[in-house]
Amino acid sequence: MTTTVQRAVPAGTSPPAPPRAGRPRRGGIGERTVPYLLLLPAVATILVLLGWPALQVIGISFRRLNLGELVRGEVVWVGLDNYVEILNDPEFWTITLRTVVFTTTLVAATVLTGLMIAILLRHVSPRVRIAIQVCLVLAWAVPILAATTMFQWIFDQQYGILNKTLVALGFDSFAGYSWFSSGASTLTVVGLLILWQAVPFVCFTLYAGLLTAPKELYEASSIDGASPWQTFATVSWPAIRPLVTLVAFLSVIWDFKVFAQVWAIRQGGPDGESTTLPVLLYLRGIASREFGISSAVAVLMILVLLVITARYLQLLLRSREGDVS
Amino acid sequence: MVGTAAIALAAAGCAGSGGSGSDEGASSGEPRTLTVWLMSGSAPEDLTNQLNEEFEAANENVTVKYEVQEWNGIQDKLTTALASQDPPDIIELGNTQAPSFAEEGVLTDLTGDVDSLSGDQWLASLKASGEWDGKQYSAPFYAANREVLYRTDMFTQAGITTPPTSRQEWLDAITKLKTTFGSDPAFQPLYMPGQNWYALLSFIYDEGGDIAEKNGNEFKATVNSPEVKSALEFYKQLVDASGTTAPKDADESTPEQAGLYGQGKIAMMIGLPWEVGTAAEGNPDIKTNTSGFPIPSKNAGENAPVFQGGSNLAIPVNSKNSELAKAYLKLMLGEKYQGMLAAAGMVPGASTDLSALDADPVSKAMAEASQNGKAVPATPKWATIEAGQNPLKDMLTAYLTGAKDIDTATNDANTALDAAFTG
Repeated sequence: MTTTVQRAVPAGTSPPAPPRAGRPRRGGIGERTVPYLLLLPAVATILVLLGWPALQVIGISFRRLNLGELVRGEVVWVGLDNYVEILNDPEFWTITLRTVVFTTTLVAATVLTGLMIAILLRHVSPRVRIAIQVCLVLAWAVPILAATTMFQWIFDQQYGILNKTLVALGFDSFAGYSWFSSGASTLTVVGLLILWQAVPFVCFTLYAGLLTAPKELYEASSIDGASPWQTFATVSWPAIRPLVTLVAFLSVIWDFKVFAQVWAIRQGGPDGESTTLPVLLYLRGIASREFGISSAVAVLMILVLLVITARYLQLLLRSREGDVS
Repeated sequence: MVGTAAIALAAAGCAGSGGSGSDEGASSGEPRTLTVWLMSGSAPEDLTNQLNEEFEAANENVTVKYEVQEWNGIQDKLTTALASQDPPDIIELGNTQAPSFAEEGVLTDLTGDVDSLSGDQWLASLKASGEWDGKQYSAPFYAANREVLYRTDMFTQAGITTPPTSRQEWLDAITKLKTTFGSDPAFQPLYMPGQNWYALLSFIYDEGGDIAEKNGNEFKATVNSPEVKSALEFYKQLVDASGTTAPKDADESTPEQAGLYGQGKIAMMIGLPWEVGTAAEGNPDIKTNTSGFPIPSKNAGENAPVFQGGSNLAIPVNSKNSELAKAYLKLMLGEKYQGMLAAAGMVPGASTDLSALDADPVSKAMAEASQNGKAVPATPKWATIEAGQNPLKDMLTAYLTGAKDIDTATNDANTALDAAFTG
């Protein structure tokens, strides 16, 4: 390799330290490979821990792999059989639709609630702000299953505090009301639970974004007599727009694959009406031990997720350095 | 039937005839290790200690590596262990899990060894759960079944002199209890959550019905039969008569019924013998004031058949010491250790001698009911239903809450079960 690397360093003139060419010339190849060497452990770890299992899942989705095959170490290729079976199952389409609706509703609710609390935080006195922030952090810190158990108690048919409170307020029809009697109602409770756990992160992120909007702009807009809405649209929004996109994207990923809460509340019941794709994955993979079929479900889930997040990914790929504002 | 086995007690081996199965390689002098996995709560320590000592003494150079596993997550753990190069040599399986392992061909065929493993004394329902395709893949270990646990002091106060022996007497007892204690709004004559499908199974069997019929290796759901509908109606009758405040959309473990019973405001519950111990944890008086009677039949004087839960023992097909493992099973299923099982309050799977259970009234009632025990269909798919979504539970809730009428509820459950059987 040539050691005299030609670099686009402007000759003669003393440049005001251009960001890329500001390095001393004698660094050469060693110095240039250092960043890659530094990246290597992380990349290798990702490849081993994420890439390999992902390839395995794709591979297994074309095999029949039940307990028997697993124990005997057999490799039985079945081509597209697993996919055909799943895609021909009308239940799969119902569940997929349900999962997509559930995810989008939940993400919209999470981002909106988080945004509103973030804006609220900007406007309240420091003491109230600290109180709200402490509450948010506490809600965030509660372990998933502990929170789920709490929600189960709150919504319990006989002993739940919610029904008791509603009855005390005069809504007698809620005595012994079952919140888990239909899939929609069950998913609403699950949604509230996830919302409660997800809002703190979204809220803090957006609040941090709001703080980056220069104070002078707010002063200027108030001098110009802008309404609160105009101030929000012209000053706050540009500051947080990339962050809103980011948290929406992250929430989609998180909410789409949420399993523990859905399963813990009613195991996807009643009558399978609150079964989402991750629950289906569990039923086929863990409960039935049909690893081939469940891998196919997993691959299909990734495809659905890709479709949902396509717009964001497009923006991400098009823009340089991942800036999607 | 993970539920049952969950807290069960006692396992062990038998020493009786002196472990003669060790002939095949024990003399070679090469040290070998026999790995035995039993479930948490299955085997009191003194039993396993005795068994393992005896086995090691009878087999030169053999070490027994005895490990206790938790029920929670056992299916995954077994899957991983069975697929490994060095699986355990003996495993305990819930009797409803057993067929799914047998079907996959991951267990050693024991058909030829049934006789030497006290096969003539095996409990029929557990034997059936160990069979697949005409072969025997696992051996009965112990069984347990539900009974009605009741408060003797409350019965006496309500003027009920003998435990009910028919459905009518049972309902009458509920009425009497209500009259005596009804002024306390927290009192429940019978705690009956909406999804106690084990109790429902008993009522279905009592009506002469079943949840599926077997044809070769195929199973067909039969829960829209008139018998099942009558059983559902009786279930509702019990719930209504008792006025129980138990949730209609949960089973007996959420909230745990024994804990509620322990609070002393419940006169009866349908449960397993060791739930008395759980109930007595916070309230020791409960134990002395609790007895049991078998679930009464609709025919006066008879006991309703019960759902029989329990555990089976099997040898993984990859075991490197299968002959040694068989010898261990032989010891375990022999007279001595099965007798000790009974003494510890379990229905022994390989012994018809239940006399040791008579000492305790709660165990006695279970033993009496177990004569008439039946298991769920021995289909490999049943493990999936229990680990996943159980249509019988949904059927109960839908019917009891009025969300569906009885025909829709049973038809839906029938369709769902059929789908699960073939799925």
